[in-house]
Amino acid sequence: MAPDSLSLDRILGEITTTNNLSALNHTLKNGLPKESRETILSSPLASGQDPLSVLDLRQNTLGVLYILSARLHATNAPVGGDVITAFCRKFLPDQARHAPERVTILARGIVKFANAYQNSLWAVTPLRDLITRYPYDSSFLTTIHPLFLQTCIAASQPTAALPVLYSPISQISTGLSDLTYNDNLLYHYLGGIIFALLKKWAEAEEFFEICVTAPGAVPAALQLEALKKLRLVQLISRGEVAPLPKYAHSALPRIIKNSIYTDLINAYPQNSERLYSLLDKEKQTFATERNLGLVTQVIDRAPRWALKKLTATYVTLGLGDIARAVGIQSEDEVRALILSMIETGDISAQISALGTVTFSDPPPQFTREEVDSVLYSAQQQSDVLEELDREMARSKEFISKAVKGQDGGWGGPSQDEEMYAMSNAWAEESMFG
Amino acid sequence: MDVDIPEETGQSSTHYSRRPQLVLVDDLRPFDLDGYISNYSGRTAVDRLIHIISICPALALEAFQLAVQHIHQSRDPSLYQQVLSAYDQVSAAGETPLPSALDLASLDTRWADETMAKNQAERSKLEVELKTYSNNMIKESIRMGHRDLGDFYRSVGEYPTALKHYTKSREFCTTSQHVLEMCLSVLELLIEQRNYSHLPTYVFKADAALDAASAAAANAKEGEGAASAAAPLLNKRKAVSEDRERVQSKLDFATALSSLASGNYQKAAYSFLKLGPAKDFGDWMGRLVAPGDIAVYGVLCALASLPRSALKTQILENSTFGVYVEQEPYVRELVEAYLSSNFKTVLELLNRYSSRHALDIYLAPHVGELTNMIRNWAVVLYFQPFASIKLERMSGAFGWTVEEVEEQVVQLIQDGSIHGRVDSQNKILYARQTDYRAELFARAIKAGRDIQATNRKVLLRMRLQQADLTIKAPKGYTSSIADLLQGE
Repeated sequence: MAPDSLSLDRILGEITTTNNLSALNHTLKNGLPKESRETILSSPLASGQDPLSVLDLRQNTLGVLYILSARLHATNAPVGGDVITAFCRKFLPDQARHAPERVTILARGIVKFANAYQNSLWAVTPLRDLITRYPYDSSFLTTIHPLFLQTCIAASQPTAALPVLYSPISQISTGLSDLTYNDNLLYHYLGGIIFALLKKWAEAEEFFEICVTAPGAVPAALQLEALKKLRLVQLISRGEVAPLPKYAHSALPRIIKNSIYTDLINAYPQNSERLYSLLDKEKQTFATERNLGLVTQVIDRAPRWALKKLTATYVTLGLGDIARAVGIQSEDEVRALILSMIETGDISAQISALGTVTFSDPPPQFTREEVDSVLYSAQQQSDVLEELDREMARSKEFISKAVKGQDGGWGGPSQDEEMYAMSNAWAEESMFG
Repeated sequence: MDVDIPEETGQSSTHYSRRPQLVLVDDLRPFDLDGYISNYSGRTAVDRLIHIISICPALALEAFQLAVQHIHQSRDPSLYQQVLSAYDQVSAAGETPLPSALDLASLDTRWADETMAKNQAERSKLEVELKTYSNNMIKESIRMGHRDLGDFYRSVGEYPTALKHYTKSREFCTTSQHVLEMCLSVLELLIEQRNYSHLPTYVFKADAALDAASAAAANAKEGEGAASAAAPLLNKRKAVSEDRERVQSKLDFATALSSLASGNYQKAAYSFLKLGPAKDFGDWMGRLVAPGDIAVYGVLCALASLPRSALKTQILENSTFGVYVEQEPYVRELVEAYLSSNFKTVLELLNRYSSRHALDIYLAPHVGELTNMIRNWAVVLYFQPFASIKLERMSGAFGWTVEEVEEQVVQLIQDGSIHGRVDSQNKILYARQTDYRAELFARAIKAGRDIQATNRKVLLRMRLQQADLTIKAPKGYTSSIADLLQGE
């Protein structure tokens, strides 16, 4: 290769002139020697000009992506924060999708950049733009997701992550983003933490559960941490733990069985003495595992669950009796507790002037709209499932497996047409089977 | 009988809830030791006396003397040691020291020596016999040799050796009748030993053998029947089935005991209630159990676990079981009071005879729980027809204080036996009113949401697997990353 092909000027020329994006991507990716590629990309033009000032952030998305991501990791090539923000806001997703690994590098670079300036808050905006614009739609998981959540937590901006978190992940495409299993674990683990921070327990529970039940031959350490947090969140939101789905890795419950968390679960919520002694004794462990905050919340809520149990047994009860049953000394505290529970809708009760509490349980009411919306979403769900089913029946893997299952060794590439016809019939059969 | 013991009389329901360590016998809870023990003979009498000595200081003295008497009729001097140690233990634990055991009654040493010598001689004799049989290779004789040795060891109290010989004899059984005999011997041994866990195995084996045996017997009769007249044939057929029933009763009893021991009271109740008449038991009656015991076991288990209608048909209208009930008239009172919803009387009777129950070796471990269950059932039954009831009225019906009633009721609500709620202020118990329509709605909507959430999670999981993003190497991934992130 001629030496001038290695200079950025030449590459720049190619970026600005070419119309064939995949060819350009190929050149950028493989046309440069491996060792010096990043250096070349992050160097200035021969005229000393900044290449980014020459390129259009929108039209030359792919080229800018390469240069930006290289620069962010280079030690001696300054980048302006404004350029990054602007790029994330303007880039063309179609172009960027030619080089998913560069997108990952860019996202990492943004985090690094923010860390270098001790300004995580700044990184939230470009990452959010990236995350909303890069994938086909919000149901795809990308490598940017965990980075974004991490940044939100670091910047103490958990609410910023909510729009992303509220669209559940249901699509995985390794062609769109160079994912590893870790990205999935991390994303859901961090999502759980964010929801827990915001005291959105039901959502937190779901995210932790997804993390815990991620498929795998061996349990990951992160899953164990997620399981611990899941248990705590369940205690907070329900007062008891729910069984894990069957597909969770069987080693996880075994590992947690002998831990202090199981002790905590067993003593919850009635045995308040045991709870406090456990907290005293294991404070250090909880703190090092970064669960102290949750554990404290768990224990603080113990009286609520004890009280809730009482409502199933009694119609009326004196404040004094409740205090005794729940394990609180003063009646005033009990009164405050009951009031707060009534306010949050945990129980329905009335306190009379004489200190008698009357519990009632009004039957659950549903409006027509609620029922309709539930029915609507059920229909949608079934459509999705049907579509999936068809997609599955069409898929190459399924067809080849179905063929193999029926008759080993039958069907070569030359018999494509025939095979297709046959396997359709089989696919239908096995659908009913 | 009324030995003064300065201990508080544990009145009321709290007395029931935990199994009393020591059984009290006083005016409120009389117990006739002589009458009780005269129902038994042989080892079980001594075993029962040992049980009484160890848990009832009030009767220890008398029981001790009786035990020594009984030992003299047996062939096992070593029993004396057991009796003595039980007595010593209870006298050491009791607040008032009991008279020294040696003053009361001691073992006739001459008798003991003689018995030992006799036992020794018999053992050698039997062992020699067995050896000869084994040399001659006559199966039937070997079987009998083992059986006799088993019987012998059992009578001197060496249960493991006895069991060994009995089971060994199985190898030499030629007919199913023999197998049956072996099984029954083992069952008797196990019951005596109070080793309940193996009972079902042998009952099962015996059942199979019994089927085979009666089938064989019937066949034999067929063959003979061709030659003989019709009338005798009928007689013989009947004889076969009677024989069968006799054994069946024993097997049922063993099953019942094992169910009782494993806490399966309902099964135990049904087994007890279908037992055949006392004469079926042959020598088991008295050697293992008394008819009165069967009545007590059966009724207590039934009260604790069977519905009312079953009680009526199975106990009151069951003539075979009725004979047993006659042995312990209070049991009939108990059932009648229960059926007429006179729960106060039921509880009083249970309390009055609690010592009788606790002093029984088979029943003792279960008295507390059975009583609890009967009481809970009673409360549940009593409340069933009401939509609301004043606790005061319940306290009248059960003979408890209002506080006790409330405590009891709350406990039952919490374990789900009563669907109701307590108005603690006005002391009223309300039955729970359920709006089934609303509940159904709530359930359906919740199920729908749950399924959607689950679907979503499972789909994601599927996608992950399709993309092969499963967790693989445990080594390359450490918790340091997790720690790092948690630190934020």
